[in-house]
Amino acid sequence: MMEFDLFREYGPALLRGLSVTIFCWIVGTACAMALGFVLALVQRGVSARPVQWILRAYVEFIRGTPFLVQLFVLYYGAPMLGLRLDAMPAGLLGLTIYGSPYFAEIFRAGLNAVPVGQIEAARAMGFAPATILRRIMIPVMLVSALPALVNFSIILTKETVILSMITVPEIMFETQTMMAETFAFAESTLVLALFFWVFVETISRIGRRLERRATHYLLDRS
Amino acid sequence: MFSFQTIIDNLPVLAASARYTLLISGAGCFLGLIFGALICVAAVSRASAARAFAGVYVSFFRGVPLLIQLLLAFYLLPLVGVNVPALAAAIFTVGLCAAAYISEILRGALNAIPRGQAEAAMAVGLAPRDIWTRILLPQALKISMPALVNELILLVKASSLVTVVGIVEITRMSQAIASATYRPLEIYLTAAFLYLAINLVIAALGRNLERRLAW
Amino acid sequence: MTLRTTLRAALFGATALALTATGALADMLEDIKAAGKITTATEMHYAPFDMLENGQYAGFNKELFDEVAKELGVAAEYQDLPWASILPGLEVSKFDFVNAPVTITPERMERYAFTLPISDATVALVQRKGGDLTAPADIKGKTVGIQKGTAQEKQLEAYSETLGGFTIRGYGSPDEAYADLAAGRLDAVAGSAPNLAYLAKTRPDVFETIQPPFGEPKYFAWVTRKEGSEALIEAMNAALVKIQDDGRLAAMQEKWFGTATALPKEMPAM
Repeated sequence: MMEFDLFREYGPALLRGLSVTIFCWIVGTACAMALGFVLALVQRGVSARPVQWILRAYVEFIRGTPFLVQLFVLYYGAPMLGLRLDAMPAGLLGLTIYGSPYFAEIFRAGLNAVPVGQIEAARAMGFAPATILRRIMIPVMLVSALPALVNFSIILTKETVILSMITVPEIMFETQTMMAETFAFAESTLVLALFFWVFVETISRIGRRLERRATHYLLDRS
Repeated sequence: MFSFQTIIDNLPVLAASARYTLLISGAGCFLGLIFGALICVAAVSRASAARAFAGVYVSFFRGVPLLIQLLLAFYLLPLVGVNVPALAAAIFTVGLCAAAYISEILRGALNAIPRGQAEAAMAVGLAPRDIWTRILLPQALKISMPALVNELILLVKASSLVTVVGIVEITRMSQAIASATYRPLEIYLTAAFLYLAINLVIAALGRNLERRLAW
Repeated sequence: MTLRTTLRAALFGATALALTATGALADMLEDIKAAGKITTATEMHYAPFDMLENGQYAGFNKELFDEVAKELGVAAEYQDLPWASILPGLEVSKFDFVNAPVTITPERMERYAFTLPISDATVALVQRKGGDLTAPADIKGKTVGIQKGTAQEKQLEAYSETLGGFTIRGYGSPDEAYADLAAGRLDAVAGSAPNLAYLAKTRPDVFETIQPPFGEPKYFAWVTRKEGSEALIEAMNAALVKIQDDGRLAAMQEKWFGTATALPKEMPAM
């Protein structure tokens, strides 16, 4: 007797959880991308040794440790250092930090793929560095980096469930609350799994379509 | 104040729990390699049913978060008659999930092997099974070694999630110690550095292996 | 459990896929006696009931369950599991008994078989040392932490309605709520009186309890599945009464809670 009726009773809470999941995913991914882009620019533009070392240590540390442990350090450990964040801001900051080195790597590879000749030509024509970055480097870089950007953004959707473990009230958290009250453990977990399967498949498809359209757009412009 | 004494006192217990982290990620990676090779063979097979199965498999295990896969294995599988101890459930789930990623890695590597090789093998009368096990998969393995090492590192990190099915590995042990000592910062940082150390060693071993394979 | 025995168990388990449907029909007491052991699960972060000391399981629950197992003539095997996975694990026969302190509630009574009470579980509040709350009602408009999915959470929600509202924040384990209280993210944490008394006793410089407990009287007990557990429950209850009558219970209560209190020898009315 699968008790799917429960979803009617707990529907509002689950929808709230779903919106928190989507919110955390979008905001977290956008912030991680932004920080990743800055890291890529610093890595490319600042050659001072200490800066490169710090950058390297940051990337190694974040890529070498589990997201869950990073969240525990940020949420339970950081108050000792005076950084006291609520669950949601801690979760968003966690996603930002966790995603940033991966995005930085994608951007770095993309920027390296911009033909040097194009940049030199623009410089010879007297364009300002900021203009070169905005008009030439970013569009050309995006064409080659888009598939990886889309791919990693999709991976981040799945990481949002880990935020439930620091009490961010996203879909997994709300489902667990429901399970504790209704004892419908197996059904709820199954529905949650199916939901994520459909959700990730859907955004993968949308992502691939957007990727194609954006590529056409960028190629037309450049 | 930051207490190094807490770290020194608890490091032995925490490091001992790393054996479960290593066991689950190592055994999970090994299973993932076997299942992944099978899924990869299915994915490039001429039989459309095999291709469809591989497609659904990869889509499911890559679409559903591992945390939820673990709970499914724990809460749901017993209802259909599969009731295995937590450790076996954890290793199998991690392995099945890894297989989805590894099959894609191997598939990418297969594309890099010249088509002529399989055709020549067929021409001299080698059975399809031998073509796979003697020619294609060994080369695919070698080509994809960097990606596989990276996958193992991902699994070491992913193994932190098996806390939910009751395996006391590094993360679960650090939660217990943090709650007993009230020193979350020191303990979770120590846990993080343990993971980092494991992964740096794996990365170094991987580079070593790649150099040898390149000969 | 050592790694080797775990591995062996895992291998045997993997090859012999046990059908839960057939397992449910058997008598649990007979099965346990035949196996010579009773397998249990609890979250080992629930001082003073369950905790890890230098990586070893310890606490009131362990000592009491050890005594009960001794009365049954079997060995007790313990496993650490997050609270959210404990009742689901019990339902699918991952272990024989939940030796976590589970609050007796009517909803759970319908679904599970409880032993006699093993401890008081009335809900109380704890705050930071020197906090400005003097009575439970002072939490109106404040933020209170609680372990999510617990009976205490429901009582806290009911209390919030009668008081006219305060913010409730759910946590995976009480330790995380205590950490947030210490960190200043919460004004108080609700939990069972014995847990909070122990917390305030072990860290008097950080926490203090708010008197009196606000909830209606509740009890903790251990639970198992209903099917086939009648004889087992009966045997465990007899053991619990015996342990109380010969003074062992009082000694354990003194050791872990600081005071000894008599427990009901019959199932309390809901």
